[in-house]
This record gives sequence, structure tokens and C-alpha cells, in this order.
Amino acid sequence: MTVARFLARRLLVAIPVALGILFVAFMLIRVGDQDPVAMLAGPMADAPMLDRIRAELMLDQPLLTQFWAYIQRAAQGDLGMSWQGNAAVTHEIAEHLPATLELVTLAVGLGTLIGVPIGLHAAQRPNGWFDQFSRFGSLFGFSLPTYWLGLMAIFVFFFLLGWAPAPMGRISMMVTPPDPVTGSVLIDSLLARNWEAAWSAASQLVLPVGCFTLVATAPIIKQTRAIAIEVMGSDYIRYARACGFPPRVIRRIAMRAALVPVLTFIGAEFTSLLAAASLIEFVFAWGGLGHWGLNAILLGDFAAVQGYVLTLAIASVLVFILVDLAVLLLEPRAQARG
Amino acid sequence: MSVTLPAPSAMDRVVGVLRRSPTFAIGFAILLFYAALAAFADLLAPLPPTLSFPYETLKPPGTGQFILGTDGNGMDVLSRTIYGARYAFGIAVPAGIIMVVVGIPLGLLAGWKGGWLDEVLLRVLDVLRAFPTIILAMAVVAAMGPGFLNVILVIGFLDSPIFARIVRAEVLALRNATFVRAAVAAGNPEWRVLLVHILPNVILGATAQLPLRMAWAVRISATLAFIGIGVQAPAPEWGAMIRQGAEYVISGEWWVALFPGLALIGMVLGLNLAGDGLSDLLDPKRRASGK
Repeated sequence: MTVARFLARRLLVAIPVALGILFVAFMLIRVGDQDPVAMLAGPMADAPMLDRIRAELMLDQPLLTQFWAYIQRAAQGDLGMSWQGNAAVTHEIAEHLPATLELVTLAVGLGTLIGVPIGLHAAQRPNGWFDQFSRFGSLFGFSLPTYWLGLMAIFVFFFLLGWAPAPMGRISMMVTPPDPVTGSVLIDSLLARNWEAAWSAASQLVLPVGCFTLVATAPIIKQTRAIAIEVMGSDYIRYARACGFPPRVIRRIAMRAALVPVLTFIGAEFTSLLAAASLIEFVFAWGGLGHWGLNAILLGDFAAVQGYVLTLAIASVLVFILVDLAVLLLEPRAQARG
Repeated sequence: MSVTLPAPSAMDRVVGVLRRSPTFAIGFAILLFYAALAAFADLLAPLPPTLSFPYETLKPPGTGQFILGTDGNGMDVLSRTIYGARYAFGIAVPAGIIMVVVGIPLGLLAGWKGGWLDEVLLRVLDVLRAFPTIILAMAVVAAMGPGFLNVILVIGFLDSPIFARIVRAEVLALRNATFVRAAVAAGNPEWRVLLVHILPNVILGATAQLPLRMAWAVRISATLAFIGIGVQAPAPEWGAMIRQGAEYVISGEWWVALFPGLALIGMVLGLNLAGDGLSDLLDPKRRASGK
């Protein structure tokens, strides 16, 4: 089983799901009672003008015809125009995506570094004091609304202590931003050796990433603990114990076995946080994809909402494929199974 | 000669359950507290939740009769936070009923009959799993227009496939069990096998999920109100109150957003604790081991 064949098969499975997601998004936004044409044309437009715009956007056609036309154009890389930004949707997505990726990657990375060791440690002694403590902590994390946490962090660290910069975007307005290379302001300013910009970008990141990490860590703790407990109770660990291996070796065997399901879970977590980022971006005026998509939903910007949903779907497919590839490399059994 | 032990009273059984799972006990206590807030809001709240004092806007906590201060409209934050419990229950309970009433029969049928119904359900689940529910909920509510009823319907229907999946998996596991085959062989009609023999065996697993899904419902309804498409201010809904408070946080008026947020966290935490404890209590593996 070659990697190429594996990839081809995964993509084939993913396409119907992506189409289904797109179809749902497409229909949803059209069955509502928002009239984008009136909003687009402004209050001065008369009836013939409205009709002309409607015909231009194909909004007078049956829904399925519209969907088919959209798919055809999307296949050629044309996702239509966003009305709020008056630019091509693909352009807007490319512009906004890096800011969200920066935020989510940092939060999931930190969440993994914090959550996995806690989960593994809690699983060593189920229902011990550390386990009870971490269980309560993770349930608490599950119950925190990100946006509220963000607001409180702004109050404490910006208003009260003055440690954090104003929660307005990704870099201070007083600092010249670096030329975009990767799209991440932090990495770009480091690349340009612009230390002032790098410092500003890093300090803007601290609060949103901190809040987001707290929320990202909770499910990772819970899932890692459950996986580790299951592995520790499995036949091969019992066998290893019976063979008299020292606990250190047994822990290493168990960790290797737990690695694959934990990795799969973190992949799923990444995609769900990509969507949840919209709220934290909203609070910190981050201007990333989530913020842009949220505005599109609120304004009924059809093409932008579809583009947003499509981007999330593609991202989730890509992440799952990456995780599967990693699993394939880590676990010889998966290769044998094909 | 037989010795009859006194049957455990209902009280003993409740105490037994609470002792077996302290997590459930704490969660249950928190929920009782919130239920009391919702039920007796009229008595507990010092002021009506939407009564405005135009000359007393943004007063900090402890000003005169306003124990937790007032918001930008001059309404009492404490009273509004107490009344918020009504919105939380008012959304979570009907949404939970929709999840159960739609999801369980769907899962029963899909698991029992298989075929196209099962196929369709699985595909819908695939799409829902890949589609971030929060975005879906936002898009649907934005399209349907804001409002209490729309929020309930969207949350209820979005979550019912999750119940369908749990029930379906359990039905699949039971389909070929001896007692089910015996019931079929004895000539029971299909509906009777499903309702009398299978349903009682699968319903526990679904029940344990209910508080967790209701926690999600409370969270998501607050989120929708926060971004401005759910329940609208000045209705005393926690998410809508946090939205009102958001603009004052940066200028230092923290109390408008803080208290509804704490109330929201408490209620969601109570539901999560209760759900987590319940799934432990109902897990046959743990029950057998006597924990």
C-alpha cells in the first residue's frame, strides 16, 4: 500500500462529505428571509435594477441550478464576490486565514503540551486525588465561554494592570507592520528582523492565545485520560506486568499505544477550534478568518459564508489526512491493514 | 422460615446514589440551586429585570439598592442575572425534549431496520461531524431570524442525531441477543419488540448524555445571544447581558459582563458534572466493580 494510493482513497471519501457540507451551507443561507439584493443595491434602487442584480447573481434561478453553477465555478477556483469587502472570496480567505491559523496552532500546541501530560498522569491512578482534581478542572474548562473569558482577561490585564496592549488586532497601530510573507505577523517580523514589530505582535498574541489555550486544554485532558486508562487495562499491558517489566518500561509501552488515538483526537480538536476561533477573534478584533466568517454570517453575505464553510471543510479534511499519514508512519499495523 | 429485609426507601436509594458519585451529587446540587432561582425569581430578585432607572446607569456594585450594580440602561444586574436562569432552563429543557423525542425513535428505527434509513442517518452524521456545529447553529439562526423559538428548534434538531447515534449503536449490539430473538420468535409484532424489549435496554445510555447535551444547549444559546442573533436584549438572557457588558469592559465597568458570565459558567458546570457523574453511575462495568 503506497502512500499515494492511500491519499487518493482518502480524498475520494472526503469529497462527498465536503459536497454535503457545502450543500447544507448553500441551502441554509438561501432559505432564510434575508434579501441580499436589497441590501446590496441600497435604498435608492428601483425594481428593474433589483431584478437586474438578481439576474446577474443568478438568484432568480432554481436553487439546484444555482448550486450546480456554484460548484462548476468553485472547481475552477472562483468562489464569487464577497459583498462586505467588495473583493473576490478567494482573495479574502487567503488574506484572513493566516491570522486564524496562527491563533489556533498556538492554542492547540500549548493545549497539547499541557493537556497530554496531565491526562496521562491522571490515568496512572484513576479516582486518586490528582485524577479528581484534573477531572474537575477539565469540566470547568468545558464550561467556560471563550468570549467571556476574553472580556475578563481584557479587563484585568489591559484596563486594570496595563500589562497587555489594547485588544485591537494583531499588531499595535503605532508600529509599522512587516511585509507579508507567511501571513503570520509574528513570523514575518522575525524574518524581517524587525524586533519592534515582533515584540508588538507577540504581546498582542498573549491574551487571545492564553484564553483559547485554557479552552483547548480541557477536552485534551479528558480524552487523553480516557484513552490512557483503556490502554492500561488492556491485555498486553497486563501481560507486560505479568512478565515483570518495571513500571517505567510499562509506561513507555502504554504511551506508545496511546499516542495514535490521542493524535487523532487532537486533529479533530484542531478543526473544531478553527470554527470556535470566530468568537475569540470577535472579542479581540483579530481580523482573522473566523472574524470575517462571523461577519459574513451576520450580514448574510452569501458567497463569503459559502467560502468560509468550504474553507473549514477543506481544512478538516486536510487535517484528518495529515493525522492518518502520521498514524501510518507510527503504526506498522495500519500499513498492513491498508 | 424466611427473613424479610426492609425494602430500601426512596430516600436511602437517593443517598446511595449521591454517595457513589460525588461528581453527580455536586452537579445535582448546583442544578437544584439554579432551578430554585428560576422558579422563585419573582421572590428572589429585588427588582423587575427590565425596570430601567434612567438616572442610575452603570452604577458599580453596592450602590444603594443595586447589590451587583446597574447596566447601561440602568437595570439591576442582580435581578437580571437571577431571571436569566429562566431563559437557560426555558431553552435547555425544550431543546432536550426535542433531542430525545426525535433522536431516540430515529436511532431505534435506523438500528433495527438498517437499509436506506440507516444509510441516510450515517451520512448526515458524517456531515455533522465534519461541520462545526457552532457555525451551523449560527448560520441557521441567522437565516431564520433571531428569536427564542428558533434558538430552541435549531439546538434541538442539531443535537438529535447524536442521540440517534448512541441509540443506534446499542440497538445494533442487542439485535441478535437471545431475549430479542426469543421475543421475535414468540410472535411479537415488531413495534412491540422495539418498544417493550429493546427500548428499556437502550434508554439508560442515552439518558446519561442528556445533561451533557443540555449543557451544550445552554452554552450555545448564550453564544448566539452574545453575537447578537439569539435572544435579544433587554431580555435578561446571560449571553445577551454579556454582549451588553462587552462594550463597557474596556472602560472599566466590569460588573455588567462579569455576573451573567459567572451564572452561565455555574449552570453549565452543574450540567456537565451531573452528566459526567451519571455516565459513571450508569456504566455497567463500574457498577459491577462496586465503585
